[in-house]
Amino acid sequence: MTRYIFQRLIYMVITMFLIATLTFFLMKFLPGTPLSAADKLSEEQQAVVLEKYGLDDPVPVQYFNYMVGLAQGDLGISFQFDNREVTNIIMERIGPSMQLGIQAMVIGTIIGMLLGLVSAIYHNGPLDYTSTFLAVLGQSIPSFVFAGLLQYYIGVKFGWFPVALWEGWEYTVLPTVSLAIFPIAIAARFMRTEMLEVMGSDYIVTARAKGVNKFGVVFKHGLRNALIPLITVLGPLAVGLMTGTLVIENIFAVPGIGEQFVKAINMNDYPIIMGTTLLLAFMFIFIILIIDLLYGVIDPRIRLAEGE
Amino acid sequence: MDNHKPSKDLFVPVDTTNDESDKITRPSLSFWQDSFIRLRKNVGAMIGLFVLIILTVMAIFGPYMNEYGEYDQDLSRSKMPPKVEGLGWLGMDGMLTDVQSADTLERAQEKALMRFNNQDEFIETEVLNDGSNGEKAEVQATYDVYAAKGMEENFWFGTDGLGRDQWTRTWIGTRVSLYIAFLAAAIDMLIGVTYGGISAYYGGRVDNYMQRFIEILVGIPNLVLVILMILILEPGILSITIALAIAGWISMARIVRGQILKLKNQEFVLASRTLGAKDNRILQKHLIPNVLGLIIINTMFSIPSAIFFEAFLSFIGLGLPTPMASLGTLINAGFQSLQIYPHILLFPAIIISLIMIAFNVLADGLRDAFDPKMRE
Amino acid sequence: MKKTNWLLLVLALVLSMFLAACSGGSDESSDSADSGEDTTESDSSDEASGDSEQVLNIMDTAEIPTMDASLATDAVAFQWLGSTTDGLYRLGENAQPEPGIAKSHEVSEDGLEWTFELREDAVWSNGDPVTANDFVYAWQRAVNPDIGSEYGPYMMGGVIKNAAEIADPESGMPVEELGVEAVDDYTFKVTLEKPVPYFESLTTFGTFLPLNQKFVEEQGDQYALEADTILANGPFKITEWNHGEGWTLEKNEDYWDAENVNLDQINVKVVKETATGVNLYDTGEVDRVNLTSEFVDQYRTSDDFQIAEKPVLFYLKMNQENEVLGNLNARKAIQMIIDRQSMVDVILNNGSIPSVGHVPQNFTKHPETEEDFREINGDLVETNKETAQELWSKAKEELGVEEVELGYLGGDTETALDMDAYIKDQLEELEGLTVTVQSVPFKERLARDENMEYDIQNSGWGPDYIDPNTFLNMFITDGGNNKTGYSNEEYDSMIEKANNELAQEPVERFETFLEAEKMLIQDDAVLAPLYQRALAQLWKPYVKDVIVNPMGPDYTYKYAQIEGK
Repeated sequence: MTRYIFQRLIYMVITMFLIATLTFFLMKFLPGTPLSAADKLSEEQQAVVLEKYGLDDPVPVQYFNYMVGLAQGDLGISFQFDNREVTNIIMERIGPSMQLGIQAMVIGTIIGMLLGLVSAIYHNGPLDYTSTFLAVLGQSIPSFVFAGLLQYYIGVKFGWFPVALWEGWEYTVLPTVSLAIFPIAIAARFMRTEMLEVMGSDYIVTARAKGVNKFGVVFKHGLRNALIPLITVLGPLAVGLMTGTLVIENIFAVPGIGEQFVKAINMNDYPIIMGTTLLLAFMFIFIILIIDLLYGVIDPRIRLAEGE
Repeated sequence: MDNHKPSKDLFVPVDTTNDESDKITRPSLSFWQDSFIRLRKNVGAMIGLFVLIILTVMAIFGPYMNEYGEYDQDLSRSKMPPKVEGLGWLGMDGMLTDVQSADTLERAQEKALMRFNNQDEFIETEVLNDGSNGEKAEVQATYDVYAAKGMEENFWFGTDGLGRDQWTRTWIGTRVSLYIAFLAAAIDMLIGVTYGGISAYYGGRVDNYMQRFIEILVGIPNLVLVILMILILEPGILSITIALAIAGWISMARIVRGQILKLKNQEFVLASRTLGAKDNRILQKHLIPNVLGLIIINTMFSIPSAIFFEAFLSFIGLGLPTPMASLGTLINAGFQSLQIYPHILLFPAIIISLIMIAFNVLADGLRDAFDPKMRE
Repeated sequence: MKKTNWLLLVLALVLSMFLAACSGGSDESSDSADSGEDTTESDSSDEASGDSEQVLNIMDTAEIPTMDASLATDAVAFQWLGSTTDGLYRLGENAQPEPGIAKSHEVSEDGLEWTFELREDAVWSNGDPVTANDFVYAWQRAVNPDIGSEYGPYMMGGVIKNAAEIADPESGMPVEELGVEAVDDYTFKVTLEKPVPYFESLTTFGTFLPLNQKFVEEQGDQYALEADTILANGPFKITEWNHGEGWTLEKNEDYWDAENVNLDQINVKVVKETATGVNLYDTGEVDRVNLTSEFVDQYRTSDDFQIAEKPVLFYLKMNQENEVLGNLNARKAIQMIIDRQSMVDVILNNGSIPSVGHVPQNFTKHPETEEDFREINGDLVETNKETAQELWSKAKEELGVEEVELGYLGGDTETALDMDAYIKDQLEELEGLTVTVQSVPFKERLARDENMEYDIQNSGWGPDYIDPNTFLNMFITDGGNNKTGYSNEEYDSMIEKANNELAQEPVERFETFLEAEKMLIQDDAVLAPLYQRALAQLWKPYVKDVIVNPMGPDYTYKYAQIEGK
């Protein structure tokens, strides 16, 4: 196992390197320069600004410099926020996004799994239909419409929670709920499907026949089997949520990284695009590794690439 | 020994021409036939299918059901509320209502009229609160927009900010969104399932490399890909299609892989292999059908993701170029006027929800139908 | 405790589900009916703490990109630089410069030498006095190629002596050659390249703000990145700066004019969505919000509703290198086909007015008759669909084409999508014309403009100083902002004359600009004017005396106060 993990860590480094390289060159394909007033400057003046950002070097040199910096944890300097280090900018912005993402994931998964369980246990009963309906609704209403309604009713009309901004835990409630809708839907649907599958299998029938009650069976045997597809989907989704969702961040005025990223794209702020991409990629790869390892833990029958 | 030989007369040949025991009493059905029969029995699924068919038919013919074109603008009729004869009780009466409050009743009256440009003859006011009880005075104004604008014909879903007929645009938008939905499903099925299946089944080095490739793909944000596509191909349905094709199948591939990893060491696979089944056959006949439930459920999630991805692109100004309509762009446009002209948002949102719900119910039915264990 | 939070969440969730369903089912009547009550509810909310606390809560749509005066390029940066730093002059009421650090100035006869007398009681927030050296240092820094300022060379080049040469690294001219000099601590002398009539107005601009050399050099590349690496010498100082979230300004007690500053604190939050802003306004969290057209319908009757006119013009740029747009009649047809009135009434709906020239209304006045520039020149374009069609067919004949396809590079304001769709529709009324809307990221649009890779472009321009020149000199041959391929010697010579020979002759100069505008819009139809922007806003009635500026910082908060909250 240790060998397997070690091997995967090495692959991780290689993958990150490839992603960094690929993104770097993709960035070079994006036209435009980081200058904000390019049309106002003469060519000489533009050259001066480009030199400041090291954009006058040939691309291979830029690439080399970037990689050397990257190896030392230096992501360069932002184009749009003069002189500010990308590492700092990302660190400042990732906090709120992460917090919302994790809260939404935890709440979403728990509620979703409960809904799914209820659905499966009372298969084709009214409870099943209700919870399926809720899940489908959650999945089919665009999150920003939902967020807008929440903000208007809960925030403005009832005044239960702050409308927007980022100043304390109560400010996280509405964005968290808005974000949690999708994980709830996903968790509920996958849970239901898998539980139904599992509950039809022989060993459950056996367990039931031996007198284990319905809930005991569900928790002891069913859950474990349902977990595999669930973590496969929810893992990357969690990363997606943690790395920020522009729309929700905009609506609730959360200083998160999703908004930052889209703005960077619009402003050709390559260092921020690169930095965020790498962070995102790292989190994805890391989560995928964890999930692969969890496969073996959850279901001992699964053996991964070891020794073949 | 010979003495005990039974007499041949004691034996009567079995009549082999009419043997009941070997006869298959149920009609011989292939996996697909069987699934289809069970699907047909599932009421929910059939309703879902029916709704989808209706929506598809409406997407095809709806835009031609009135004389307004998708792009016909007329600012003089912008933001008209929906009006359908006979559906007034549903609120589709072509009226706008607004409540104005002020310190005095007169001021509230005045504001109520001013809200609709003081066109007195088309405004009915109703005093909700005359302000005598210490609270603010409230006056509700109801404005007959159609009469005020001398509009003879009705807009069933109202009009948007540019006076375009929302009915026509909604159905045109449904076309785009259905296209994206089917596209996403197809990509998931074809690329995702194959990729995940192969990766998990062969395992070892193949799995390793295939998964690392996925990690690289996941690592590059969709948005960067889309923007590249837009800059190379110009924004439009094609660049969205390609972006979806590049990145849309990854989650499916991961799920299928996870499930097949679980299944491939189970006894029935071993049995099949012992009997000499080829890899191809094992994958197609044993593994994939067993994962089918999940595949379908996951497809149901890639469909909304794809539709919303397109909406998101519109949201940040990189989606379908205006004035083209998709449900995503319509919902985005309507979001701004959520509080005051909700009809602009309402109808596209209902349609998108209907699509999702129909797909989901149908998917549930399919899941049950394809599950060999659910066979009675 | 934890459990109750949980329950609350679940409750909120379930409730919101219901609400979503409810408002989905009924139509607008129930929704819009509620809106009137909002203000009543919000006023009683807990926000109203203390009577007339001098705290202003506002929002901005973007993070401050930089607080370094030399590097600033956008409205947000200039806004907060202007609130924290006094330059030689500040923008006062009606965009009239009022004394800042300079008490007065003298101009030499030839208009080339400006001598500013600085006040002696101005100090930086670290206690250092503000001296002429701070200006010398700041202005030199703005054109120093090593700093890489974008606005420095643009604003100073051709205005201050040697600025353009210094900014060009090839020339190797040292920054000391810049035409600025500290005669003594409180006398600052500027030598200009040529007489610049609007120079006083220019000195209020962000790029011309002073910098404390010692402090800037001490901070090095950390300068102006955080609240504690910035100095203020103006009415307010930044005390807290949470990037991406907002920032807080507090009254600068050491400010030379502190007694006229009423506000104790300004809290700024970054809010991007209009709907969110409106909701925050309704709950009393912010004191001002800009409205988009939908919200104008809703709030038009509110007592808080106000319209602020801006001298910012929007227009269609037409690339004359395109064969069709090279044709004068084609361009004139485009000018005439667009119905501007409906556009501002319905799509913008925020008080914007149709634009009929290339100098905004209420921007500059005739030096003698005091008549408005716009009034004198009148409507240089009109909407006349029939004439437009005639001109268009003539153009098609001249070009020998029947079908024309043009690309349209869209804008990026909130109403952009509707606006783009509308303009496409209007243009396509011209027979045989197909317009393709291209939406691309912001910087990509700039790049396409720069390389003239567009046919028609929706473009906007706001003034950098109060003078017609800021609008009209854009379109001289090969001007940095021209990018339409327009080149007319006569036009060039008029602008040239206005800025040189006539620099000291305000009346002739003004009249030359009038002529130039006519040529630009009427004769040569270089642009198709669209509208002059206005902002529809809600202001809490207790906010008083905020000055809205046409250029530079959008608002002056120096004299603002909270009254009767």
